[in-house]
Amino acid sequence: MKPLLNKTTKPFIIYVLIILVISVPIYYLVVDAIWKHELDEHNEIVAKKTAFQINSLKLSDQKLLETIKLWNEVQPTTNIQNVEKNDNFKDSIFIIEKPHDFLHFEEIDRFRCLSKIIYLNKKPYRFNIETNIEESQETIFFISLTTVILFILIVGGLLILNSRLSKSVWKPFRETLDKLKTFSLNNETKIEFSPTDVAEFDELNQSLGKLIEHNISVYKTQKEFTENASHELQTPLAILKNKLDILLQNEDLTEKQYHIAEEMNRALSRSSRINKNLLLLAKIENNQFDNSEINFDELLNQSMEILQEHFEQKNISVHSEISSPVKVSGNIGLTEVLINNLILNAIRHTPANGSIGIKLSQSIFEISNSGTEKLNPDLLFKRFSRFSKDNNGSGLGLAIVKEICKSQNWTIDYQFGNN
Amino acid sequence: MKILIIEDETELAKSVAEYLSEENYLCEFAFTFYEAMYKIETFQYDCIILDIMLPDGNGLKILEELKKQNKQDGVIIVSAKNALEDKIKGLQLGADDYLTKPFHLSELMARIYSIIRRKQFNNSNIISQNELQIDLLAKTVSVNNEIIALTKKEFDLLIYFIGNKNKVISKSTLAEHLSGDFADMLDNHDFVYAHVKNLKKKLNDAGCDRYLKTVYGTGYKWENS
Repeated sequence: MKPLLNKTTKPFIIYVLIILVISVPIYYLVVDAIWKHELDEHNEIVAKKTAFQINSLKLSDQKLLETIKLWNEVQPTTNIQNVEKNDNFKDSIFIIEKPHDFLHFEEIDRFRCLSKIIYLNKKPYRFNIETNIEESQETIFFISLTTVILFILIVGGLLILNSRLSKSVWKPFRETLDKLKTFSLNNETKIEFSPTDVAEFDELNQSLGKLIEHNISVYKTQKEFTENASHELQTPLAILKNKLDILLQNEDLTEKQYHIAEEMNRALSRSSRINKNLLLLAKIENNQFDNSEINFDELLNQSMEILQEHFEQKNISVHSEISSPVKVSGNIGLTEVLINNLILNAIRHTPANGSIGIKLSQSIFEISNSGTEKLNPDLLFKRFSRFSKDNNGSGLGLAIVKEICKSQNWTIDYQFGNN
Repeated sequence: MKILIIEDETELAKSVAEYLSEENYLCEFAFTFYEAMYKIETFQYDCIILDIMLPDGNGLKILEELKKQNKQDGVIIVSAKNALEDKIKGLQLGADDYLTKPFHLSELMARIYSIIRRKQFNNSNIISQNELQIDLLAKTVSVNNEIIALTKKEFDLLIYFIGNKNKVISKSTLAEHLSGDFADMLDNHDFVYAHVKNLKKKLNDAGCDRYLKTVYGTGYKWENS
């Protein structure tokens, strides 16, 4: 996962890069055009000024020829020539590249030239002037260099600014996020977001607040529904049960009918058991139980005593190693349910003449029984997932065990081994 | 024996009355909180079956009222809520027993029987049926004045049968009585058979008449003509 900042910075930097790259030829063209324009103006002025000043000397023709000659010698960048015969008398502007006349190293320079007809003593002369202009590659080089430096400054500045800003700008967002992380539907406590002056975050907080409030109320309704539905079901179940009890007293009842009633009674007991277990699950999830210090070993011994006859009935040998005392923090009622469910589950799923091991140490309570195949540990503690063919269980026993563990901060695990 | 059934579910109240009526119990009904308040003030009952979740009032208030008036009626709370707090509160307020819906009528009847016995025979609570004598306080059973040793479960079963004279009680009902909440988690209810068989044998060996009959193959009935 990339931080949000990277996502915005990268395209931004790419955009800056593209613009700066495009800017290099644009700058070049603009700078070059300004150069040329200025130099053309300059050349024009020099030509006009030269003509004006020579004319204002009011030289004789002879003197003029000497002056022109002298001029041509001392002014290397300009020269004045007689008009050739085939001259078209037009001005021309052009660029030439050549080595300097007066420098000896081989450097090519670029010149902006003007060739113009000027009139000296009313006779036409061709005036040539060349002015050094920056070479294209030099212009491009310096513009590029500037661009690169600017690019580095923009990117560097952007990164520093962004990392600084993000710390302060995203602060309310992070606070909101931290609060969301600690939120649990079970607690049913609303989150109070700290006020922020950023419109987006304020909107976010308000929307989250509404969402959470809605969720809490839906969750509450759902939990209440489970509880209410279970309660409401108890009464019709009670009526059915009682009517069956009365039916059994009927003197005309045949043995066949009695057995049908008895089957109905068993099914009814199972549904009321499922109902009670659902209610218990809802209550555990609602945290309706308080914890206190309890003696786990005493509860375990009690439960084993009560279930003793059921071990005997299936001729199951019990191997127990119970440390004493084992004091834990938990709810007595729930812990009893946990122990009973686990042991009963073991009794139900142990074949006759099998064995059950019960071990209790300071930190571990372990129940093992002889079995033939490995069970799917993912489904084992799920509600209504059954593995055996007998359908007598409520399908909630181990789900309850798991919920109890969760509510008391214990962990539960299933293993299948070869001994 | 006068019984008051405070219950807003008429079907439930009727079933209870029907089951109880065959055994010398005279049942009266109160379907609302106010009806119940009126009846407990006006009449005296041997036992009150009280549903604490009434639509127009909390049944625990009725219990408080009984206590205030210093009435000695036995009270069994019947509730759809299996909440420990309600149970504790109810018993603290003077209820004699607490039963969670759904329950078997035989369970209710056995409890009514022992509450009435307890209220009426404070000091010597002995049930006699011909050669059989049961001392409820000492928890001993004797046949022809000779004490027979019963296990806790066998004694429990015997009282249950005595409380449900001439009623057919099925094996699964007994299983629920004996193992409470987790009866239906057990694969079979043969343990009931084992306990009943032992009880029968001990009574017969001591020379007691065969009052406990097996009916329909798996049901039981204590006969007392």
